[in-house]
Amino acid sequence: MPPFQPRITPSDATPLSEFQRGVKDCIPLLLGVIPLALVLGATAAQKDFSLLEVPLLTGLNFAGGSEFAVLEAWTDPPHLLTLIFITFLINSRYILLGASLVPYLRHLPNRKIFPALFFMVDESWALSLTDAQRRLAQFGYRYAFSLPYYAGLCIVLYLAWVGFTTLGALLGPVLGDINRFGFDMAFPAIMLVLLKGMWKGFTEARPWLISFICAALAYSYLPGNWYVLIGALAGIASAFWLIQEDEA
Amino acid sequence: MIQMSTFIAILLVALTTYCTRILGYVLLKNKTLSKRQRKILEVIPGCVLISMITPYFLRDDPADLIAIMSTLFAASRFGMLPTILISMASAAILRTLLV
Repeated sequence: MPPFQPRITPSDATPLSEFQRGVKDCIPLLLGVIPLALVLGATAAQKDFSLLEVPLLTGLNFAGGSEFAVLEAWTDPPHLLTLIFITFLINSRYILLGASLVPYLRHLPNRKIFPALFFMVDESWALSLTDAQRRLAQFGYRYAFSLPYYAGLCIVLYLAWVGFTTLGALLGPVLGDINRFGFDMAFPAIMLVLLKGMWKGFTEARPWLISFICAALAYSYLPGNWYVLIGALAGIASAFWLIQEDEA
Repeated sequence: MIQMSTFIAILLVALTTYCTRILGYVLLKNKTLSKRQRKILEVIPGCVLISMITPYFLRDDPADLIAIMSTLFAASRFGMLPTILISMASAAILRTLLV
């Protein structure tokens, strides 16, 4: 019963083969990304975004959740502070994602890290980190994170996102509600497979349970997207308590 | 066509997003992490992932709830592509059947 298994790195791996491994691992994810991109593009067209402004937004920002939120809060003329605030809150999870990559990236030069982080989204981060955790035993922290593998993931996601959001703006009115085909379920499916890949046993997963409970409470009783931040922070706070020195 | 006000708003939004992407790395980069701190960092990704999908377990529609439970089951058994397909198909079928 394989969970998400990144293809094992062969000993004769080259940057090109690692890049191709990333591209291959990323392709199934497009089932979730493409419909979402089409919907976002269509929504943007409704808000009078032009065919140039849509790829400008999705190509420079490249973070779907915040783009949906920005369109939701869009006014003409735009309230800049509101947009910045919403964007920051929704994407604040990237602060945590970035922090989790530190042990794997810190030995790399800044000229590689800062462009690489521009492309970090939930999917590319999750796949590359799962891959790095798997390679850790074999390669150690210095070589566990495969930058060409990450690049392969990112280029597929980036082209698909920018391309299909633009297409969505073009096709917008024709699409209708595509969720009746179940496309919205691709996202939790991807996330659950990734979680399975990170599973190390119940003891290690206790903070996840705390996250789930707190996210559920926040989702039920608070407006907006607070549940992501509250659930994540509660789980992390509990980890400080649950993961003690002697277990480490 | 690109409107000036839209252009500025997009730039600011994009800049904000990029700041969140580098902030966690920049803040922790020069810290030496103990083994315990690394273990805590390892647990963070799962905390974020599970928080993001929590609403799917709290939907009102029984079709959606059955679909997410079949997805959970599929994810525990199969790889990425089969799980996505099972998940989408179960949602599409259940939503058609349980109207």
